[in-house]
Amino acid sequence: MGSADPFNRLVKLAARAFYDDITTKGENQQKTGRSDNRGIAVVVLDTLTKRQWVREEDLAKDLKLHTKQLRRTLRFFEEEKLVTRDHRKETAKGAKVYNAAVAATGDSQQTGREGDDKQKMHVHSYCCLDYAQIYDVVRYRLHRMKKKLKDELESKNTIQEYVCPNCGKRYTALDALQLVSPYDEYFHCESCNGVLVAESDKLAIQDLGDGDDNARKHRHDKIKDMLSKMEVQLKPLIDQLARVKDLPIPEYGNLQAWEARAHASGRSANGDLTASDPSKSSQGFGFGGTPMPYVGETKVEVAFSGIGEKGEMVKSETPMKVLPPWMIKDGMNLTKEQRGETKAETKTDSTLTAPEVSDDKKSSTVNDEKKSIQDEYVKAYYAALLMRQREQEETMNRPEPANTISNEDYYTTTERQVGMKSKRDEDHEGDDVNWEEAGPTTGGQTRQFKVDLNEEAEASEEEDDIDWEEG
Amino acid sequence: MFFHMVLERNMQLHPRHFGRDLRDKLVAKLMKDVEGTCSGHHGFIVAITGIESVGKGRIRDGTGFVVFPVKYQCVVFRPFKGEILEAVVTMVNKMGFFAEAGPVQIFVSNHLIPDDMEFQPGDIPNYTTSDGSVKIQKESEVRLKIIGTRVDATEIFCIGTIKDDFLGVISDPGANS
Repeated sequence: MGSADPFNRLVKLAARAFYDDITTKGENQQKTGRSDNRGIAVVVLDTLTKRQWVREEDLAKDLKLHTKQLRRTLRFFEEEKLVTRDHRKETAKGAKVYNAAVAATGDSQQTGREGDDKQKMHVHSYCCLDYAQIYDVVRYRLHRMKKKLKDELESKNTIQEYVCPNCGKRYTALDALQLVSPYDEYFHCESCNGVLVAESDKLAIQDLGDGDDNARKHRHDKIKDMLSKMEVQLKPLIDQLARVKDLPIPEYGNLQAWEARAHASGRSANGDLTASDPSKSSQGFGFGGTPMPYVGETKVEVAFSGIGEKGEMVKSETPMKVLPPWMIKDGMNLTKEQRGETKAETKTDSTLTAPEVSDDKKSSTVNDEKKSIQDEYVKAYYAALLMRQREQEETMNRPEPANTISNEDYYTTTERQVGMKSKRDEDHEGDDVNWEEAGPTTGGQTRQFKVDLNEEAEASEEEDDIDWEEG
Repeated sequence: MFFHMVLERNMQLHPRHFGRDLRDKLVAKLMKDVEGTCSGHHGFIVAITGIESVGKGRIRDGTGFVVFPVKYQCVVFRPFKGEILEAVVTMVNKMGFFAEAGPVQIFVSNHLIPDDMEFQPGDIPNYTTSDGSVKIQKESEVRLKIIGTRVDATEIFCIGTIKDDFLGVISDPGANS
């Protein structure tokens, strides 16, 4: 639930830091003592922090401002991405909807608009603070300020700009080719042939003359100074940004959604001022101070819980994933599916002519799993393997496919071996080495290899685990 | 940076070249047309290394010219921002110096020349350190870093800097490569 207070504080700090000398007067108009309206931006932003969606006329009335002035300010904010505006055609009836919605939010904004009841469509403008964007915009602004100063400081790879003092035309260093003159060593303007002046260090004031070394140092110092001053003065803002970083952003949605919500809440606000439903918390709809259920909330609830349930169901229904052997550690209580044993086995065995073998294995594995004792399984497995081995020897059915199969086999058996052994004992590296050497090289020798395995395995089984480490 | 890539071009051939040596003539024309040119997208085409395929020729309506789509392999050179190159100084100016790295021209403005190097006008304009130890003049070799490129349709131009570490003069003019 996005409580707006830290965000409101952020907005107030940002307003005072950056917008306190914005004036809505045009450039040409005089800013006399009487009509100077600097600082109006701060006032407007402050008022907006106390409201959600506001009709602009209402805001103007509250602030005792001229609508046009306010509009200009709001337009400026919209361009700065601090505020979202919505313009829509409404009859006075529609305006009433808004009024009701506003009243329902508990903010007492009694606007006496009932008088204007004609069925004319006016375009009403609404505005609201856009917290998410404000957060981003303020951060971006700070970043750009720092970057600019730092770049100047280090004289980083900035592309030089040149200005013609005669006609004011600007060039960059990329245009240098066209600017270079064959006659003298300066750059000349393309149009008026005036000598171009390099525009360097835009931040530092250039009226230090050209005692070159000193000028550079002075500029350097000035910029350093600026940077440190900036950091000191903006510290509260930066702190607030940090505080706000992890909080959920209060979101009022677009005008219609908010109105609908507020309206519904207004209706039920008479009785149940229940706390806002936590199921909606992820959206942050509405803000902490207005506790009320929302339109369609029930639906959402159901969906939520439905999703919750479904999620769980889905979870339980998901077929157990085959855990790769390297994940299987000793003592894990895994189902046979997770060990991937039976399935893998069927896979390999299907390629061979020994389905009964797998069945045997399966039954044995089922038993074993229940007791979660791997030894029996391993024994059975090896027994089966040996059986299979013999069958293969009989059938002599191991030409080319055997190679691929055997590779597969090898791989899966290896896995199983590896898995098995790692289950019993963490140390199977010695065995690994054997296999890796033996596997790819053996083509038709897999039989032997397997036999070896069996012997080795059986032998070690009889002995204690200690022997494995040696092996 | 250099790349070796396959490009395609439609070569138009006059009927007088038709005959036994058609293909050779086509390839020769391609080389003449393409080598040394620059496209903004691929960079400078330095050399054609081989012909991959020559498609079927289409006779253009109204004229006897035939258009062959030719795929060829070539070495291209394209400078990138952030790349570090060695270049040869071609002109020294009060505003900086121009250098060439193969087909591409690079301009280093005085703003990006280390502060301790001052411009010395005169017969041989140059940039020199205060103690005279390092000098940048025409034909010096410098190592520079490209900080900006300007890519037109047929032209690439770069801005460079020597203000970073390990950049600057490699060797003086007259020194052997």
